Amino acid sequence: MPKVNTFKVKVQTGLQGMSEPVHFNFNNHNMPFENVTGSTGAGETFEGSFDVNSFAHSLTLSGPKSGKWGIDKITVEYDCENEKPYSVKFGGVNLDESTEVNIWQDPPVLAFDV
Amino acid sequence: MNFIKRIFTGMKQEPEEPVVEESSVTEEIESSPVAEEAAQTEAEPSFPDVRRVLQIPVISEGVFPEGSDEVLIKAQPSPTGDQCLFTVNRSLMTGHSWYFADFESAEGSSLAERLFSQEDVETVLVCECTVTITRKDKTLFDWAPLAKDVGTAIREAIQDGEGLIAEKIIADLPTEEEVREGIQKVIDIEVNPGVAGHGGNISLLDVRGNSVTIQMGGGCQGCSAADLTLKQGIHTSFRTAVPKVGAIFDETDHTAGLNPFFS
Repeated sequence: MPKVNTFKVKVQTGLQGMSEPVHFNFNNHNMPFENVTGSTGAGETFEGSFDVNSFAHSLTLSGPKSGKWGIDKITVEYDCENEKPYSVKFGGVNLDESTEVNIWQDPPVLAFDV
Repeated sequence: MNFIKRIFTGMKQEPEEPVVEESSVTEEIESSPVAEEAAQTEAEPSFPDVRRVLQIPVISEGVFPEGSDEVLIKAQPSPTGDQCLFTVNRSLMTGHSWYFADFESAEGSSLAERLFSQEDVETVLVCECTVTITRKDKTLFDWAPLAKDVGTAIREAIQDGEGLIAEKIIADLPTEEEVREGIQKVIDIEVNPGVAGHGGNISLLDVRGNSVTIQMGGGCQGCSAADLTLKQGIHTSFRTAVPKVGAIFDETDHTAGLNPFFS
């Protein structure tokens, strides 16, 4: 369970856009993103980040409170304490008022050539 | 006092005896519907909605450069240090997997024979383009020296061109239905009654070839002892009951839910 200094998301919306502010859940605390650029309209790209400075056991991206949000791709850049910065790409997903999607991945395990 | 009682029993608030004149009761009810609604809200506290957490696949970048004729191997020790996963840029056993418990079981399989010739290799699991090794010496966490030897053994076995897996094993591979029936039976008869004492349960999610995917639920999901239960309990039960079962994957998300304590 690493300590997350900051994380940054880049969400590419597909055909189904939405207009609500984007929220995430960090360890079940629901919060809006900071340093937001772009939008979540159809075909648009949203970027946002958050200075967490806390240990992560769960991190999810929340669906809109009404309507649906069709996401094509999510890219998350994590900056964790005592770890090299790493990024993870997730595939497409449809979110609504009853769903959220996991965007947490532990730092990659060291692999080496033999 | 009634309030405390409601907290512990989940009772709804009972209306207190009105201390008003009978003639004014009708008037009060008619004139204050909002107050009535407020009282009802107080009696039935609302809880925050719990959303369903979806898991979506991670898009992985290519591990190896495409089109290389060279045998490329990557070693990835497990976080617990007891196993090491070797990924090769070609298939070692297509569509199935095989678990070699000891040197004797490796007879006729050139890949496993070469791997067991390394002193510290305890077990070998071959699945598609990967080999998973457990080592005998559980006190060693540095995999680099052994991993190099294992890499060399895998490379030599591939380059020799002999049958990596014995023909007898390939010929006797079980059908998915046989594996499914056997594993489901051992889950129902042995595994689930065992973990039920801790409020846990195991379900069989999928069978591909002779590889199975399970999910831990109830008290097992998020449990700090889940890894031990899986490796020393479930794996042993599965392999004893269905000796031809290959890889056993666990797809449990131990960090999901409101109160995981796995990490």
